[in-house]
Amino acid sequence: MSTKPITMALAGNPNAGKTTLFNELTGARQHVGNYPGITVDHKEGYFTHNNREITITDLPGTYSLTAYSVEEVVARDFLTSQKPDVVINIVDASNLERNLYLTTQFLEMGVPLIIALNMMDVAEDRGIEVRFKKLADLLDVTVVPIVARSGQGTDELIRQAIKVADSDKKWHSRDISYGEDLDEVLMDSITIIKESSFLSEEYHARFTAIKYLEHDDQMLSKGQEENPTLARKLEQTVGVISDHLHKTMDAYPEAIIADHRYGFIKAIIRQGVMTHKFDTDRLYTSDKIDKVLTNRLIGPVLMLAILFGLYQFTFSWSELPVAWMGNLFSWLGSMVEATLPDGLVKSMIVSGVIDGVGGVLGFVPLIMFMFFGISVLEDSGYLARVAFMMDRIFHFFGLHGSSVMPFIVSGGIAGGCAVPGVMATRTLRSPKERMATLLTVPFMNCGAKVPVLVLLIGAFFSDHKALYMFLFTMLAWLVALVTAKFLRMTILRGESTPFVMELPPYRFPTLRGLLIHTWERTWQYIKKAGTVILGISILLWAMMTFPGLPQSEQDTFNTARSNITNSFPDAVQQELTSFNKDTAELSEKAAELKDKLQVIDQEESGLTLQNSIAGKIGIFFEPISRYAGFDWKTNIAMLGGIAAKEVIISTLGTVYSMGDVDADDASSLGERLINDPHWNSVVAVSALIFIMFYAPCFVTVVCIAKEASWKWAFFSMAFNTFFAFLASVAVFQIGSFLG
Amino acid sequence: MTLKDLNKKCSCFAQRIQNCTKGERCNKHHGPLSKNCQAGKVKICKLTGDRRHCARMAALGVLPGAEAELICPQTGSQCLLKIHGGTLSLDQGTSDNIIVQSV
Repeated sequence: MSTKPITMALAGNPNAGKTTLFNELTGARQHVGNYPGITVDHKEGYFTHNNREITITDLPGTYSLTAYSVEEVVARDFLTSQKPDVVINIVDASNLERNLYLTTQFLEMGVPLIIALNMMDVAEDRGIEVRFKKLADLLDVTVVPIVARSGQGTDELIRQAIKVADSDKKWHSRDISYGEDLDEVLMDSITIIKESSFLSEEYHARFTAIKYLEHDDQMLSKGQEENPTLARKLEQTVGVISDHLHKTMDAYPEAIIADHRYGFIKAIIRQGVMTHKFDTDRLYTSDKIDKVLTNRLIGPVLMLAILFGLYQFTFSWSELPVAWMGNLFSWLGSMVEATLPDGLVKSMIVSGVIDGVGGVLGFVPLIMFMFFGISVLEDSGYLARVAFMMDRIFHFFGLHGSSVMPFIVSGGIAGGCAVPGVMATRTLRSPKERMATLLTVPFMNCGAKVPVLVLLIGAFFSDHKALYMFLFTMLAWLVALVTAKFLRMTILRGESTPFVMELPPYRFPTLRGLLIHTWERTWQYIKKAGTVILGISILLWAMMTFPGLPQSEQDTFNTARSNITNSFPDAVQQELTSFNKDTAELSEKAAELKDKLQVIDQEESGLTLQNSIAGKIGIFFEPISRYAGFDWKTNIAMLGGIAAKEVIISTLGTVYSMGDVDADDASSLGERLINDPHWNSVVAVSALIFIMFYAPCFVTVVCIAKEASWKWAFFSMAFNTFFAFLASVAVFQIGSFLG
Repeated sequence: MTLKDLNKKCSCFAQRIQNCTKGERCNKHHGPLSKNCQAGKVKICKLTGDRRHCARMAALGVLPGAEAELICPQTGSQCLLKIHGGTLSLDQGTSDNIIVQSV
């Protein structure tokens, strides 16, 4: 028995159960990456069967092998370039006719094939009986019935797949008749192709000829590259019949080819492969549910309720684990604080490394819950319906129905996070619509912006807090959609992708599948966001720390501290030194000393910040930022907000000489802002608008760079900041003019 | 806007509503799928529009002569079409280009 490792490819229509089978076979032994240059997932998994090492690739779901979409190009290129030992074609037994369309193209391509007839249980429930042996005989391909969800039949499938991989059978392109006219042209083209061995390393001659007839863009350009003269000759040959068919039948060859393929499938099915126990016209449960869930009036209401439920689930259930993670990093910080001696290294580890990386990892539980919720909606089939219902509104703004989820995840209902939102744009296939979505989701009010909004609204509009929160949430939606429209009309101009999507029937998701999907995406987040964060955290820390105060000024503060400390009796000094806040309370005198020392510390940290690189940048920008009503202190806070929006509060606290201010305990800072002569309600609205719309936090920027490119990440920072500044200037100037 | 214009607009809107609520008006519909107001069986007569898009629709089985079932007509916008055992969701641009006849 051979022990040679085997390569397998899983291919089939979307929602046929490829990923379920892939997860069933490989479990956690899988690797998710990208195909080069595109965001289509490349999933590879490993397992052994009777000591045979097997590498299996889960190809993207496709309906055909003609280059109509990026998935189809990826699947076809993989099969021709990697030449797997066997292709497992997953066919949905409850939707045989549609699924066999792709099978016919595998047969034409002449790849070593085995059919996994999946969802036999669903077919049985629908009263569909599939005679798989008959199908195997008629197609001359091994057919194995399976139920991927339960693992039923998968062992036999792999056994048979290994048999196909090991066999010496020569796979040829299968002949399907496309009618007299087309067959004649096909034969002529095949002769030309064979004579010159045109593209013969990758494709069978018949397959190449069919793709030329189908006007396959990728095949045409490949032909032009390999042999321009021959390619032109072939194009002319198929061009004649194409024009003739268009004139006489008002149809192109590809439509006639598709018609004949469906005819071929029908002819096979009618030979007793499939029988229906019930009326074939009956609507299945899934269709009945759709009549309600996608109803024009009830549908959107139910959708809002379900999405709100997802939002509630994510944020309420993740609250505790997020707090645990926060506590873990606080504990780690205090451990380092207590262990290391005072100095730059300690400051860098605590403020730069632990706070920066901890800030990112602190989101992990939230991300996990969010992705779990999305996986439930996705695996149950509801997400496709949401996209369908939202397409009409989003289409108007140049986006796609599938853009809705990234918007909601990013804070469409205030409190999301732009990082998973940016990552959720992967579900979009059109590059321009995806880019427009990716660049506008950071406008949503994420969970990090909410404390800042609460602080400023609470301070300056305390009588109408809820109303202002609602208005600012609506404003975020409006700005995001209008900006998307603007981008689609300018730099991302292009035709909208037609919304054509096959809706999968409603299914109960499997726990195993949900957990694998959740972990896959969460791990991507940890890996991607976590690698660059460390460097940027340290950079921001350095900008707010260096060059520090000159020695003479440090000495002045130290002298002031000594003078104040010495003005108190030794007993009070001793009490403050040995004070433990968990076990005792300070005496009145000791508390007074502590407050006085704190005032000096705050003054020193404020002055250090003013003297730091960040402070100097803040002062540098003041002449411009004045137009929006911001002084240099606010500028530093905004600069810090690029790290994470919550940092705006702590930075404002520091610059207003209050020391560190906790994001959740911002009331005292609010009072300080009200009393500051530079702040008023107009400045507050201007600042709110700037904070909502300026450059995304650096975790989001890194994600945009990873999902698109650094060029787009920088564009996002520059464009958003420019737009936010213009809006803030307009608000401040008009507000000031009106008084 | 004059009262006459307003009246014209209103009656046009009312007519649209009537068309979509009165099933019998949609019987024997022949025209774009997007204009079909009643759920039920349709026969695809022709595909119009961009060649590439037509080819993609053909691969999904939306071909002249094929029979399909309109599940959720949204009148003038999107719709759900059951064809070859699967359910396709189509936007207005696509359903405008599918000429059907009620069966």
